[in-house]
Amino acid sequence: MTWLLLAALLLMAGGLGTALWLAARGTAIERLAGMQFAGTVTVLTLLLLVQAYGPSSAVILPLTLTVLAFAGTLVFARLLGTR
Amino acid sequence: MTIAAQILVFAGVFVVLASAAGLLRAKDLLTRLHFLSPATTLGAPLVGIGLVLVNGVHLGSGAILATVVLLALTGPILQSATARLEARHRGEIDEDLPS
Repeated sequence: MTWLLLAALLLMAGGLGTALWLAARGTAIERLAGMQFAGTVTVLTLLLLVQAYGPSSAVILPLTLTVLAFAGTLVFARLLGTR
Repeated sequence: MTIAAQILVFAGVFVVLASAAGLLRAKDLLTRLHFLSPATTLGAPLVGIGLVLVNGVHLGSGAILATVVLLALTGPILQSATARLEARHRGEIDEDLPS
């Protein structure tokens, strides 16, 4: 399963680093784009790590994160829109 | 089958990393949002299909497919909401028009 770990490592290094950089700079709306990218990369990394290490039932974690990240980002967008 | 799965997963990872490079290079938020789309609508399904090929027909495969389909569906909605927020912030949306 080494190739799954390599893919997860690439995603974490290249994707999460970029997402954190974007989420830490600019205006609040610009940082929202970084948060969206962080959610996508985290879901994909979790899928790969569950495939490599975990029981298959742990796929519920990225599935739940997808729904929560969607709702959370919409709430952020709503709150920023009222400012 | 494993070779095909590896090719699909690394193709998906490459798409996400290319999107990350584009996100870093983009100067504007609206340009940046264009680079978010490939990660959710192309990269995620590629990774998901690759993992399904590894698992075979299995309940976990259904959950993986549901996850990537949800990502591909919710990604454009979030980008649209963010773009609308930015356009409203810039004053480029006529508030009297129906949305």
